[in-house]
Amino acid sequence: MLVREIMHPDPVSIGPDTPIERAAAIMREGNIRHLPVVEGVRLVGVVTDRDLRLATSSLSARPCAPSAPVREVMSHPVETTHPLDPIEVAARVMRELKIGCLPVLDGSRLVGIVTGVDILDALLQLTGVERPSGRIEVRLVDQPGELARLTALLGEQKLNIHSILSYPDGEHRGRTVLRVGTMDVRALAERLCDAGFEVLWPPVQPCRR
Amino acid sequence: MPKVVHHPAYGRYDLGPEHPFSPGRIDMVLDLLRELGVALEPVEATPATVEDLLGVHAEDYVRAVEAASAGGTAADLASFGLGTADNPIVPGMGEAARWLAGGTLHGARMIAAGDAELVLQLGGGFHHARHCLASGFCLYNDLALAIRHLVSRRKRVAYLDLDVHHGDGVQEIFYTDEDVLTLSFHESGEYLFPGTGWPHELGQGMGRGLKLNVPLEPFTEGDSYFNALEKVSVPALDFFRPDVLVVQCGADAHHLDPLADLMLTTQDFERIFRFVLGLAEQYAGGRALFTLGGGYSMRVTPRVWAILYLVLHGLPIPEALPAAWLERWRDRLGSPSLATLHDGAEPYPAVPRRGEITRQNAMMVDRLLDAVARYWL
Repeated sequence: MLVREIMHPDPVSIGPDTPIERAAAIMREGNIRHLPVVEGVRLVGVVTDRDLRLATSSLSARPCAPSAPVREVMSHPVETTHPLDPIEVAARVMRELKIGCLPVLDGSRLVGIVTGVDILDALLQLTGVERPSGRIEVRLVDQPGELARLTALLGEQKLNIHSILSYPDGEHRGRTVLRVGTMDVRALAERLCDAGFEVLWPPVQPCRR
Repeated sequence: MPKVVHHPAYGRYDLGPEHPFSPGRIDMVLDLLRELGVALEPVEATPATVEDLLGVHAEDYVRAVEAASAGGTAADLASFGLGTADNPIVPGMGEAARWLAGGTLHGARMIAAGDAELVLQLGGGFHHARHCLASGFCLYNDLALAIRHLVSRRKRVAYLDLDVHHGDGVQEIFYTDEDVLTLSFHESGEYLFPGTGWPHELGQGMGRGLKLNVPLEPFTEGDSYFNALEKVSVPALDFFRPDVLVVQCGADAHHLDPLADLMLTTQDFERIFRFVLGLAEQYAGGRALFTLGGGYSMRVTPRVWAILYLVLHGLPIPEALPAAWLERWRDRLGSPSLATLHDGAEPYPAVPRRGEITRQNAMMVDRLLDAVARYWL
């Protein structure tokens, strides 16, 4: 999944001389929390609603007037991403730098913005239930051909796989969660057990866990 | 006295010998009731017409089902959920599904016309069928058809789904409808088909706050289930004030069901059915339409539905199962041999995580009631 699939294209931006109070109003009206600051065609900074609130607060070490330009409170230089970056790379940068958004640049042109909430939306899309389906969870040995063996068995049962998610589970093991187009996952679980798979869900007998 | 609806043609809804949704379940209930000395004189209805179906299903979907059922091929059968492991294409399935839908619809017509208050349809409960999709063994949504008819007669309908699976089809069809309250109690979609039925699914537009879902933890037992049922259904019905209750009585929340993971006993089902009957009397003027639903253990499902029949008719629950019935269905009942209509004492080993499961379910109920409170002002 690439940044361009989840980013907001053509984001609202402001100039560096925009007064703080105007920037705050734009955020309020658009129900947004991040504004790229652009001078000409060049991205020069980012302001967040938190920057603005802190700058005008008596808690601030150097309080600004609401009429002060945003250049005085914006973050710069700006960490950015590219439309063809994988979203996990964008997420990694945001997580490590503890920042809430990344402007998306194509060359020097601002083409979009991704925020933490967009990453959450992507997670929902990856794990979500798009069609009625049952859930099966299997622990696989981390070696070539295991997932292929699993999916081949589902194919033989004429079962459609709606989504598949894998993540590491200790040394040399991985958990694979599949959403499959059947109500009768117990029967499937029994077949998988017979074929030597370690099925974590559903329980083949009640209360096995 | 309740009116009972049934037609021998229901048995034609047969998705194959290996398929869990066996028409044999209804045969076993009817036979059990007769052996228990019940005088069964069911009302027979006619099949739902294609026109009836168009009230809840898309025209191209109905055409696809009927074409596949007649042995023809239509484009995109798979996109309608047809020809899958759960919904295989079987000759005559469309007509059979219309017989069943017609029965449930007839129940609704009798109630709307004032010819009956309580109706038990001995079949139906196809709650997964969507506007445009066959799913979870279901083709035509008989419940939605019945609800649509009641709404067209200016009745406000509360739909209560006791099946262990989320009633996603009924919810979808009435998601924006202000005259229909849907309440579904089911094993969490995190673990069970169809994967939906979360407390944040509250309805849209005029229907907002009128679609309620209580996902329950796997291995939930009777007391925790009943607590959730009571805590949610009472305030919801008190707020909504329905004219009619429509109840899907799937038996698959039983602990022996092979497709799911809840831990109800037949005693729990009796308690639930008596409670729901009380809700109908208190909040819907005694008007309620009960259907069957899921329930895939041959040892369990006929007993649960016989108990449903006896409770609705105010008849005593006999202790013993008739010997002739046990003998006749011996192969299907399997071993060890059964003796009583209710489950025996200590029917399953203690659930190790009982405390945690009970707390989590109680919190789920609280969160749902909090979320919905502002729509009930």
